[in-house]
Amino acid sequence: MASARKQVQQLARQLFRLSVVDGEVSAERVAGVLAYVEKNRPAHPVAVLRSYQRLIAAEIARCRAVVDHAGPLAAGVLEAISAAMTRRYGRRITGSARRNDSLIAGVRVRVGDDVYESSVAGQLEQLARSV
Amino acid sequence: MSSVLEQIEQQIAKLSSKGVKKNTGMIRTVADGVAKIEGLSEVMYNEMVQFPGGAIGIALNLEEDEVGCVILGDISKLKEGDEVQTTGRLLSVPVGKALLGRTVDALGNPVDGKGPVAAKEFFPVEKIAPGIIVRKSVSQPLFTGIMAIDSMIPIGRGQRELIIGDRGTGKTTIAIDTIINQAKINKVGLASGDPKFRPVYSIYVAVGQKNSNIVRTLAALEAAGALEYTIIVAAPAADNPANQYLAPYSGAAMGEWFMENGMDALIVYDDLSKHAVAYRQISLILKRPSGREAYPGDVFYLHSRLLERSARLDGKGSLTALPIIETLAGDVSAYIPTNVISITDGQIFLETDLFNQGIRPAVSVGLSVSRVGSAAQIKATKQVGGKLKGELAQFRELAAFAQFGSDLDAKTKAQLDRGSRIVELFKQPAFNPLPIELQVSVLFAMQRGFFDPVDVKKVVAAATSLKDFFTTRKDALLTEIRTKAALDKDLEAKLQAACEEWKPTFAA
Repeated sequence: MASARKQVQQLARQLFRLSVVDGEVSAERVAGVLAYVEKNRPAHPVAVLRSYQRLIAAEIARCRAVVDHAGPLAAGVLEAISAAMTRRYGRRITGSARRNDSLIAGVRVRVGDDVYESSVAGQLEQLARSV
Repeated sequence: MSSVLEQIEQQIAKLSSKGVKKNTGMIRTVADGVAKIEGLSEVMYNEMVQFPGGAIGIALNLEEDEVGCVILGDISKLKEGDEVQTTGRLLSVPVGKALLGRTVDALGNPVDGKGPVAAKEFFPVEKIAPGIIVRKSVSQPLFTGIMAIDSMIPIGRGQRELIIGDRGTGKTTIAIDTIINQAKINKVGLASGDPKFRPVYSIYVAVGQKNSNIVRTLAALEAAGALEYTIIVAAPAADNPANQYLAPYSGAAMGEWFMENGMDALIVYDDLSKHAVAYRQISLILKRPSGREAYPGDVFYLHSRLLERSARLDGKGSLTALPIIETLAGDVSAYIPTNVISITDGQIFLETDLFNQGIRPAVSVGLSVSRVGSAAQIKATKQVGGKLKGELAQFRELAAFAQFGSDLDAKTKAQLDRGSRIVELFKQPAFNPLPIELQVSVLFAMQRGFFDPVDVKKVVAAATSLKDFFTTRKDALLTEIRTKAALDKDLEAKLQAACEEWKPTFAA
């Protein structure tokens, strides 16, 4: 059971490596990988594809800056954040804005696992934790 | 002038709301106190991880695409998909004198209902043990107050002495007696105003114990007035295995504070068998490869790194450890007992047979040993009890042979008589440790043959009478023994005279 899971993860990682070109996920390569899996069905195909999907999603998230904001976002802010994150991480990062009124005010930027908290809701949460 | 402006600018910068960076992950599974987390790409080994709802976890398994965390606290509200974040801190517990008299959990949170702990300092739970250079050899005694131990298996400050035996043989009682004795010595020493006196603070770590047992221990310490010098770290059987796994390390961190600050401390791990079981549970759930008896490969390191933290430091204090191991049917060759025996500087082995025969504490003299030896004994104890272990071992051997024959020569008979009296003399009720000066007096009386005319069955009563006589009427002599710590000719004469004075008061 444990070795089967390990094999699934190994294959998923192999497929993932094939899908990345110059540090970015290539849509063409992903299509190619999917076609290959369709043709040469591995053992536990669903588990392999789920694991592969997780790896691709994590990689896409690493190259995207999701900007949550309460209230309107000033023009140019998204571009400025994308540029700053590109500089910080040393890879091209594209920005996307998402309205989130629960933040009360300010922004929250998520790049992969990293979250940059600059919202009132985040500060209140931190305050509550420290009390 | 510009520097002033810069300072103001810096102050403004501090006050302005800045973005805070967090590294996050997502719970993939939660089961049996362990969470598998996706993400947390920057997490460090043993780092504290913040779960929603205030629970914290420790990252123990760092794998390529997931992190295995043990969760400390309430896991009932956690679910798949919850966000988790790193804290950048290793697990730390409050330390210091503010913890004395308190009962805390594995994280140092008070559980005794006496309000928050006013600790100002924190020490990391996991710490590398002191190296070779900073250590000093063990040479100062730590009196347990148990005559059989102090005279034959002496323990020194900074030593690791294992207490091992089957269930219900009095392992915890020995540990509690030792803690109570430290409190008694502390009270006398601090009252004397001696600037050289070094009190010993105690830490009792209860791992996997029944809550009722912990309450009983607490009550015994409180009744003996020892709680004010003691910290209790409780990870009872109802706690999750993560807390049980961490509790000894938390206790060690609290003890290290005393050691690092030039004080002496004693830590009791009650018991490491249950600690190993808790770690085995965590390891199996984390899917780490299992070895003998399903324990993980690093179960030796689990205890060696813990016990190595007990030491006597040069120019600083000491941390003495009394780990407890429970055996099954007296089997000391099982996996965990042999591991811990090899790490410690000796063991006090308690036998079920002796316990059932009414010999309490049921210390097996043959199997018990202290590798520090007489280096941790005061001269007075060496003078009166130096040959005791040999005499008792001879007695056991002769007693075994004497069962087969009725005709015994006078010498053998004398040895048997003496041995049986020593056995009786070493019987001691629970939670009643004896001061070392009183032990010396009793052993002196025994060596000088004052118990020889007493019937074996009445030796315990005679010893009690002698102790009462000394405590009520020879207080000055006891103080002299305590301060001199050695018997010179003058003291020996005074002791002899005191024993002669006592003799007619006890009707054999």
